[in-house]
Amino acid sequence: MRRVMIFTVLALLIVPSMLYARGQSEPEGPEMVTLTIAGRDGAYGDAMQLAADAYSAQNPNVSFEILKLSGSSLLEQTVVDLGSGTGTYDLLMIDDPNAPRMMQAGWLADLDKLYAARGESPDPDLIANVLQLGRHPYGPDGTLYALPHVGNVELFAYRRDLAEKYGHSSAQTWSDVLAAAKDIAAGEPDVTPILFRGSKGNPIVTGFLPIYWAFGAEILVDGRPAFDTPQALNALNFFLELAAYAPEGVSMYQSAQVRDALYSGAAAIVIEVWPGWIGQLENPEVSSVVGKVSVANHPGQVEASSSLIGVWLLGIPKDSENIDTAFDFLQFITSAEVQRDIAMETGIPPTRVSVHQDAALIDKYPWYPPQLAGLQGGVARPRTDYWGEIETAFGGFLQQALIGDLTAEEALAEIQKKVEEIVR
Amino acid sequence: MTVLQRVRRDSFYYIIFAPAFLVIVFLTIYPVLSVLINSLFDYNFLSADKELIGFENFVKIIGEAIFQRAFLNTVIFSLVATTAEATLGLILALLFYGRFAGKRATMTAVIFPMMLSTMVICAIWKTMYHHDIGVLNYLIGVLGMEPVGWLTNKRVALFSVMIVDIWQWTPFAFIIIQAGLNSVPPELFEAAGIDGAGYFRTLVHVTIPVLFSQILMVFLLRTIDTFRVFDKVYALTQGGPGNATETVSYFVYREGFSFFNIGRASAASVYVLLVISIIAGAYIRRILKQEV
Repeated sequence: MRRVMIFTVLALLIVPSMLYARGQSEPEGPEMVTLTIAGRDGAYGDAMQLAADAYSAQNPNVSFEILKLSGSSLLEQTVVDLGSGTGTYDLLMIDDPNAPRMMQAGWLADLDKLYAARGESPDPDLIANVLQLGRHPYGPDGTLYALPHVGNVELFAYRRDLAEKYGHSSAQTWSDVLAAAKDIAAGEPDVTPILFRGSKGNPIVTGFLPIYWAFGAEILVDGRPAFDTPQALNALNFFLELAAYAPEGVSMYQSAQVRDALYSGAAAIVIEVWPGWIGQLENPEVSSVVGKVSVANHPGQVEASSSLIGVWLLGIPKDSENIDTAFDFLQFITSAEVQRDIAMETGIPPTRVSVHQDAALIDKYPWYPPQLAGLQGGVARPRTDYWGEIETAFGGFLQQALIGDLTAEEALAEIQKKVEEIVR
Repeated sequence: MTVLQRVRRDSFYYIIFAPAFLVIVFLTIYPVLSVLINSLFDYNFLSADKELIGFENFVKIIGEAIFQRAFLNTVIFSLVATTAEATLGLILALLFYGRFAGKRATMTAVIFPMMLSTMVICAIWKTMYHHDIGVLNYLIGVLGMEPVGWLTNKRVALFSVMIVDIWQWTPFAFIIIQAGLNSVPPELFEAAGIDGAGYFRTLVHVTIPVLFSQILMVFLLRTIDTFRVFDKVYALTQGGPGNATETVSYFVYREGFSFFNIGRASAASVYVLLVISIIAGAYIRRILKQEV
């Protein structure tokens, strides 16, 4: 009984004292906020961390929890969270082909309203062609749900020294590329003439699309699949002819293999490179081909050069409890100053015109002019809710054609049939 | 005794069983029921559209070439990997029977693959399988043979994935069978020897029949596990090249987590559940018969 009394008295003394002390020690000031960001791994994660640290330095009341996820994990986790409306995340990185579904579902905060509340509007320095990817419906008049964060655009890289050696320094068309591949194959037995990612699904489709579009083929016309056209057949036949100069096993190549081959000089022509892969290309500590590789926009064929845009957007879930702070950070990370720092430190490509024209950045990344041209004039993947399924079907049968399981005609017929089912 | 009296008599057991029952309902029965219900809907998580379509998902999926291929690959994978693991596990158990110097260290090395994370194992094997820099093709080259596209050749890729599974899970079969072998009185083998049976005769007529329950258990557990194979396919081949290593679990994953077609993913899962239930039922019946 005596013990109980002692404990009770102690508790009555200690608890109010602690509460009082806590109240005294808490400084007056802005509320502490933790922004939870669902982002990407690798250099994308480094870029996000860099911006978060810089923002926290300016705003000590804001801390960050950054999830650095692979592309597929990011989609899975964010969709499950957004669908259940738990508001776990305050900011999301969104691959642009996935954006239409999220915007259509009404999961993202309306940025136009947030701009209006501050009496502001999106900075015209943001590349217009890229900014509209964050709008729904797609186009300049749609409501803005996301801002472009990473200015990825598919580019074309080739060993300039080899191209000059074999008289192919100005490849204007895909036919010129094929001719160069033939000459390099004949004269350079230790070099892989052609390289791309041949893994099924997104990688092989991404590598093939610039050729597909350059041959005048289209994916969807008025919402219906258009794989059963002579243009599509010509494009695929050409792709298979070109792939004959790719290495054994290209059907399982991912970005790591392509990047390694490019940096080591083992590949002469890489038909698909992304700015995020080539940030260290001119760094002699990492690259064996400093000053030897040209990075350019894709060649044309029947149509002009058609680079594929693959921008990463940043959006705010409408269920976030920190929308205002998240919007402030969103403006910060997409500002010219921060984009410049990110590009300089991590090689992540910017989405602003002025940053692409920065002399120091162009000196470090000589491909910025074609990168800007690609972002301004490139083509985005179709704005459809079914892109994931379409890409999987497209990439699956395309790879079957690559490994010889199907002819070009059979592969396209299968793609057409499957995509018709998907969009029905 | 009336029903009420029986309930009153057993009420204590019902009360102590209730928490466990609730946990089972929540963790097992509810998810299974949820999958069964979702499989009857055209349900996309992204659009939240949900329309009752009966058995249409089941009919559609089973008619699709990719699902058929995935199912066939899964059956081949399960049969070959399980049989190989059980056989190698038995051989290892026999090799490790008795005492010999360095047994503990060797056993640790043998069961090591089972202790590693699957993703780590896949990273190691992916490097070993590499067409240009992999150790396997290097050794083949030393022998003067052409390099093999372990993960890139459509005729070889599925077997390459199987080899990784066999490498990882043979130790599991070994441990189960060895535990059974150690519980057998040595006198039994001695008696067979006294009766004039040689090693192989003893193996066929004494050892294997005595270990039948353990071998069956290995087949049961490994069949169930290999029928659900996903992680190795995801890490090594992503179902390629072509559809050479597509499995049912990978099909379910893609439908569920890439396309968010919950209805189709659920229907495919129900097929897996059905097959595993049939296999498990057959094995369990056999095991119970053994016990009787």
